[in-house]
Amino acid sequence: MSKNKAYCPLVFLLVICCLLSAGCWDREELSDLAIILAAGIDADPAGVELTVQVVRPAAFGGGAERQGGQAQENDIWVVSEKGRTVYEARRMLKKKVPRQIYWGHNIIMVVGEDIAREGLRNVTNFFSRFPRARETTWVFVTPGKAKELLKSHSQLEDTSAQAAGNMARSAIGVAVMLKDLKMMANVKGSNPVLPRLELTPSGAPQGIGEYENIPGGDEQQFITKIHAETTTTGTGVFDDDKLVGWLDIGETRGLVWLRDEVEKGTVIIPSLTEADKRTSIEIKKGSTEVEPFYDGQNIWFDVSIKAEGDLLEQQSFEDVTDPKIFDKMEQALAQAIEARARECLEKVQDEFGVDALDFGKAFHRKYKKDWAQMGGKWNEHFSTASVNISVDAEIRHTGLESKRAPKE
Amino acid sequence: MLEGGKIDGRQAVYLCITFVIATALLSLPGIVAAHAKQDAWISSLLATMIGLAVAGIVVKLGSLFPQQTLVEFTEEILGTWLGKLLGLTYLLFFLYIAAFMLRETSSFLNEIFLPKTPLIAIAIIIALLGAYTIKHGLEVLARVNQIFLPVIVASVIFIFLLLIPEMDPKRLAPVLEAGPQDIARGSLVPAAWIGEIFALTMVVPFLLKKRELGEIVLKSVLAVGTVFLLIIIGCIATFDSIIEFMIYPVLNASRIINVSEFIDRLEPIIMVIWVTGGFVKVTFFYYIIVLGSAQWLRLKSYRPLTLPLGVILVSLSILVGDNILEILHFLSGPFPFFALSFELLIPLLLLAIALVRKRWK
Repeated sequence: MSKNKAYCPLVFLLVICCLLSAGCWDREELSDLAIILAAGIDADPAGVELTVQVVRPAAFGGGAERQGGQAQENDIWVVSEKGRTVYEARRMLKKKVPRQIYWGHNIIMVVGEDIAREGLRNVTNFFSRFPRARETTWVFVTPGKAKELLKSHSQLEDTSAQAAGNMARSAIGVAVMLKDLKMMANVKGSNPVLPRLELTPSGAPQGIGEYENIPGGDEQQFITKIHAETTTTGTGVFDDDKLVGWLDIGETRGLVWLRDEVEKGTVIIPSLTEADKRTSIEIKKGSTEVEPFYDGQNIWFDVSIKAEGDLLEQQSFEDVTDPKIFDKMEQALAQAIEARARECLEKVQDEFGVDALDFGKAFHRKYKKDWAQMGGKWNEHFSTASVNISVDAEIRHTGLESKRAPKE
Repeated sequence: MLEGGKIDGRQAVYLCITFVIATALLSLPGIVAAHAKQDAWISSLLATMIGLAVAGIVVKLGSLFPQQTLVEFTEEILGTWLGKLLGLTYLLFFLYIAAFMLRETSSFLNEIFLPKTPLIAIAIIIALLGAYTIKHGLEVLARVNQIFLPVIVASVIFIFLLLIPEMDPKRLAPVLEAGPQDIARGSLVPAAWIGEIFALTMVVPFLLKKRELGEIVLKSVLAVGTVFLLIIIGCIATFDSIIEFMIYPVLNASRIINVSEFIDRLEPIIMVIWVTGGFVKVTFFYYIIVLGSAQWLRLKSYRPLTLPLGVILVSLSILVGDNILEILHFLSGPFPFFALSFELLIPLLLLAIALVRKRWK
């Protein structure tokens, strides 16, 4: 026993040494990292051009000091390099970036239109192989150059990357992470769709030091500074990994209905009584079932959509407390949703001829034997298939009012 | 007897579960899906069946030779020379399993979490820890594992529960798209892993109650089979059939967990599972080699062999393959045939000969 006691201090010392030296080999100090929040990829004669938004940690600190009209420091640094592969471009970045480039916090990845048309597979592999890149990174496609899109900032968030990430999460259009993109590109009967992101003029920042809006002032004073914010403006549709076309924001809503990705949204239906008036309904819940049928010759799909929403705005004066009128409104809602879906369907079937709706997946699940022959030419089969859409829409609440106070 | 300690039934079951799922946990779904695609779960059921066959052999051999380990009873069955030869082959087989596991553990840590640390540094640390445990005997290892296994199981359950929002059961359809041949081919690797419970024949004499043996192997195989099944189903429901392109699908799965921007980046949990499980597995097989070698050489104590065999183990772990692709290629190619002949075919022959000889007398 006494012998053991003699060892005690020694063991204690050893343990302390171990604790102190843990992780030394692979330590990564925060001050040695260049944290990337956004990555953009464009085509380039040399191969690819990689653009990254690097955080400047110095600018993020001391939030209080930054207010009060002092000149703001720039939060981010946008820097690009070219290379034959994405990884080479990343290596080239090291010539300019004095710290270790850290991908663990990359929020968004933006693909430029030109490289999207050439094919995504050439550039996405790095992001699914490299252990430090996260498969939860949001992926966008932008018309024009990704490089230009990344040269932006956000009014509400610290960076435009965070703003775009939040936008993806709020699911106005499709929301796609790297892992989803990988599944869309590789699972049988599925083609990728990516949300389209671009910079649009978005309001006028106001504050001390900004131009002010003085009515009747000369032109210089009258124009306020214009801000460009990253904006979701639709969807890019891909055939396998090549961009074939765009859906606008209305068609994107149809796409979201057909792909069963509705989380929330707004549907505007025409008023029942007055021609140019409308009623707004907020969608609270939506789900879609797609059932494929094949009789050896023809393929058709039965799509049944279920929607639930709240009536939140009325321009006209229908009495919504009357069940008959309420029923008619629900029918109008169903029609409006169907019209949205049809609009999108026509575009992907007739114009693009690409199954962007995952209908092929449903077909593969039900007819695995036929898929073996038809899978190779699925897009052709899809574009000639007929689709029956039935919508079951319900309005649950009417906000804080029942029927509207009538006009005097 | 070389080993003074005894382990009870629960400890034996825990050991079996840990040393089988430790290997399988990270890479199993990908390897099986490479052949069977979204029908990988059927392959795992098939593998459990094969595992039950191995379990049957273990029980039979265990009841014939309750006081002897594998290295000892091969001599009994085949005579001294042939028995010694087979015993040595088995020791090499176990050495190989331990080295392979050591390599996989250190390789994974090296690749994903500690890229700048040399591979051999991680291997040496794990092996030294193993050597220290072995010095204290089987009972200590069994007790350590009694702490580790619940942690491992809880972590796996935790991860897969949080993954439920990412899962879609539709991804498992269409069922039976892969042909029976592919499904059978996919079941070979998991079968070879479950078959590793054949190593239990090395510790049968140290069981507290030998008649519990049947219950122990049955429980272990079923538990492991269930874990395999759930992991595979979970991964396919999360990633569809693209898991066949992933080296560590469970790691990928843990990385996409995100519960309201609050619980995310859970891969350290994977590290906990992998390090503890890997340690137990390496140490268990390391122990078996050390003990078996001592019995093979008829030494009075196995302890002097610990460090020299450890050196061989670490060197072999570096030598088994140049890179992860070589290791994966071996795993999904020749490994199951190689392993299953040691786990199923040779034991079956041994059993047959033993039964015949018993009747002869």
